[in-house]
Amino acid sequence: MEVNEVKELAKMLMFELTDKEANEIIEEFKTFDKQLALLDKIDTEGVEEMVYPFDVETAYLRDDVPDHVLSQDEVLANAAKTKQGHIVVPKVVK
Amino acid sequence: MNIDELMVLDIKDRANEAYKKIHEVNDKLNAVITFIDDDGKRKEGKLAGIPVALKDNISTKGIRTTAASDILDNYIPVYDAAIVTKLKEAGAKFVAKASMDELAMGGTNRTANIGPCLNPYDDTRITGGSSGGSAALVAAGIVPLAIGSDTGDSVRKPAAYCGIVGVKPSYGRISRYGIIPYASSLDHVGYFTTNVKDAALALEVLAGRDDKDMTSSFAPVENYSEILNSDVKDKKILVFGNVYDALNDEVIKDRFDKVVEGLKERGATIKVVHFDDDLMKCLFPTYFIIANAEATANHSNLDGVRFGHRVDGTSMEEIMTNTRTRGFSSFIKKRFVIGSYSLFEENQERLLKKAQRVRRLIVEEVLKELKEADGLLAPAAGTIAPKLDNTSTDELSDEYLIGENHMVIGNFAGLPSITLPMGYKDEMPIGINLTCNAFKEADMFDIAQAIENITGCKDMIKEVA
Amino acid sequence: MNYDVVVGLEIHAELNTKTKMFSGAPYHFKAEANTDTNEIDIALPGTLPCVNHEAVKKAIELCHALELKIDPLVRFDRKNYYYSDLPKGYQITQQFHPIGRDGHLYIDLDGVRKDIRINRIHMEEDTAKQFHLYDETLIDFNRAGVPLVEIVSEPDMQSGQEAALYVEKLKQTLNYLDVSDARMEEGSMRCDVNISLKPQGSTVFGTKVEIKNLNSIANIKDAIEYEIKRQSEVLDNGGTIDQETRRFDEKTMTTVTMRKKEGNVDYKFFPEPNIFPIRIQDEEIQSIIKAMPELPDAKQKRYIEEYGLSDYDAKQLLLNKNLAFYFDEMMRYSKNAKACCNWLVSELQGLLQKNGQTIETTKVEPKSLSKLVDMVNDQTISSKQAKDVLVDMLDGNDPEKIVEEKGMKQVSDTSMIEKLVDEVLDENPNSIIDYKNGKDRALGFLVGQVMKKSKGQANPQMTSAMVKEKLSKR
Repeated sequence: MEVNEVKELAKMLMFELTDKEANEIIEEFKTFDKQLALLDKIDTEGVEEMVYPFDVETAYLRDDVPDHVLSQDEVLANAAKTKQGHIVVPKVVK
Repeated sequence: MNIDELMVLDIKDRANEAYKKIHEVNDKLNAVITFIDDDGKRKEGKLAGIPVALKDNISTKGIRTTAASDILDNYIPVYDAAIVTKLKEAGAKFVAKASMDELAMGGTNRTANIGPCLNPYDDTRITGGSSGGSAALVAAGIVPLAIGSDTGDSVRKPAAYCGIVGVKPSYGRISRYGIIPYASSLDHVGYFTTNVKDAALALEVLAGRDDKDMTSSFAPVENYSEILNSDVKDKKILVFGNVYDALNDEVIKDRFDKVVEGLKERGATIKVVHFDDDLMKCLFPTYFIIANAEATANHSNLDGVRFGHRVDGTSMEEIMTNTRTRGFSSFIKKRFVIGSYSLFEENQERLLKKAQRVRRLIVEEVLKELKEADGLLAPAAGTIAPKLDNTSTDELSDEYLIGENHMVIGNFAGLPSITLPMGYKDEMPIGINLTCNAFKEADMFDIAQAIENITGCKDMIKEVA
Repeated sequence: MNYDVVVGLEIHAELNTKTKMFSGAPYHFKAEANTDTNEIDIALPGTLPCVNHEAVKKAIELCHALELKIDPLVRFDRKNYYYSDLPKGYQITQQFHPIGRDGHLYIDLDGVRKDIRINRIHMEEDTAKQFHLYDETLIDFNRAGVPLVEIVSEPDMQSGQEAALYVEKLKQTLNYLDVSDARMEEGSMRCDVNISLKPQGSTVFGTKVEIKNLNSIANIKDAIEYEIKRQSEVLDNGGTIDQETRRFDEKTMTTVTMRKKEGNVDYKFFPEPNIFPIRIQDEEIQSIIKAMPELPDAKQKRYIEEYGLSDYDAKQLLLNKNLAFYFDEMMRYSKNAKACCNWLVSELQGLLQKNGQTIETTKVEPKSLSKLVDMVNDQTISSKQAKDVLVDMLDGNDPEKIVEEKGMKQVSDTSMIEKLVDEVLDENPNSIIDYKNGKDRALGFLVGQVMKKSKGQANPQMTSAMVKEKLSKR
């Protein structure tokens, strides 16, 4: 993997990497690849992915009854910029 | 003082020492991110007036919650985590938001944005992480109970390094609502105490079904501290052979042998088990892939739009990028890149799904034996707490892959698991880990108390001030 | 060259539940900004989703109505992308296991029933609403987390008209089920069109163009028709169609490029770890289905077959579900289906419109209107009188009472009418002569005289018949 590719991966995650960071990731990927080889050794043919710690199903669903709502002040409390009850960002171009 | 000892005092006085001493102790340990002042109020309950520390990834209404990350350094929640409500109702008094690895994504507590947390036993050593601040405050005798979270071994490893009890109950036992996540399918709320009885009591307060967490369990919560019984006569306990074999420290092995011997003497049946070695070598990579993949998605909400430390820009993308570039340490960014890489459509089959399949095989392999027994026993860590500047880990050795990562099994399978001290090496504490069947916390506390009786390692406090 | 048109639709409909898909915050259209959200909707750190039971029920109802196979194990996945209107940085959706697969919606294409296959229906959550000002964007998170169903059709439509009929029918179904308000103008139903052209008879699909954010059925039709014309021209001139996303410009009635597609976006879908799979018991599914209101197609069939209404009348009633429900209610009290339909659709609706009211707001009870219809039918009052009575009924008054109070009852007593007819004939010998001489107007005059003598209460049909009969005897 090249430095530019790694930086591109980071861009998709909405952050930038320095060359140093990108190079460190390339190094880490080497170790990671060796650890992956350990996984490759395991025969997982026909094994279902384990997404949760238990194979449980739930029957619980929330009743459609309003429980709590934040006040507008609370919603905006941590926002860096607000205007007329809204959170503001620079103009978003669709 | 442990909870029982504090309870003897007047309710008004139980937290006084903690509020008083924590600043001084913190000067030595760097364990606190945000101090919480005494509001003077006291309330009856199972933890009436008892000082408690909270890991800084636990949402506290009106109290800054940063998860030790610059991106949240100005974030003040407008809601309480489910357990915060429970602790308040039980009368607990919060004294601090404790240090942790940034976003709980580490095992050393060196990656906190406020700098590393130091081990009370030796300030040149780590506490372990990610719940290091909570562990340090308990080990230093400031609080008898501190809450943490455990995704791989983030409570149980620091407990070993700091000579205290660290508990991670079954998945779903304690609500995760309001805990800033690391990896949702592995995250557990856990906690530290100085003895097993306090640990049993704490679970009574923290556990229970919460409708706000759809993975929360309906399993009834027992009066763990009352039914606590150190009798192990009919207990069948497995010794984790692969871990034992992978370790090189003779003192740790010797202390461990003595515990096993003691359990035998008390009538427990001991069986040494060796799980498939290839599967055990996969513990770490399996964990690493799943945890980082879930983490990159979980932390996509940290974009500076609605909360957190926004760094301005001329477009929405620029704001997000500037905010996240400044807000995350290099360490976190690297983890996110790897996590995201595992999630790409073209990589999922080979990475995330492969890891999830191996996770199943590992869980099946362990449960095959554990289902027929009451507990699985192993040294919690292969060494005493490492030095702060230690970077010499061989991440492909068995000692690392198995010896230092075996506790993730408890997270893979959602099993209750406890670490408790079993002695010292070079004046540093060493710990033993016990993992039991899902929702059998009562069994876990019983066996743990027997171990506590065998080792005599109870209420180990290292005063630093 | 002639082309086959291939159109598929992806429609999002907001479910009209009281709370969000994954949070207990309420939702009201047009609430003040950021007052209908809680920490889950703005994705504050540590929050977790909790699935709304009602949303699942409504999705099941829709699946059943459109004949989809329902998956009783409800599962959710994450769709990852960064956007300012997406608080979590991922949307919780049902990528891998939609709640329903393989259904049908039938449209009436000039009297021919056409089957439009539905590929899938899945549940997901809406995004926040953004208002774009000159140099900044304001975000209101009230809409964030509102439950949505996405209904994905197969590419079975071949014209703007078919697409319009499909959307019309789907909207009607959503309305009848009370699953969604389905108001395109308010954004509670949104439509994306996929359209491609291929040479007539070819089995190879052309390049797909997506037209996004169409906000009315008329626009869907117009956009597709324009796009057919545009693509045909490009292809006729030897050009190629770009794979792209376009939008419809209402002013120019054309579609314009929004963005070119550069490969597929990788949304890194993976199963949502915070929601265990939810098992919906078969008994629950059956009871949801059992409690479902009657659907438009079934109603139409019933109106025609049981009530003998014309196809046209039945459709008039079905245009508005509240009209149909009103009619159903009327039929509990009256047997005169045809008359009920006429009085409801023409008379009452017309009157309501004049008075700025609607069938939803009117005080006229279905039971009362039925009574009125029956009174006309059994000739207690005349149609003309009934129209006056209906005006008085707008205040919620009972028709019988009005008729009583105004002394409007028709006289249908034969001896009484006979007496009046005899009187009138005796008084107007000239008119009798005129009548015998073939002057039809004389009959009307005589009937009018009888009506006058009865102060308008004599039954006009009876009177007319009696006058004729008596005339023939003189």
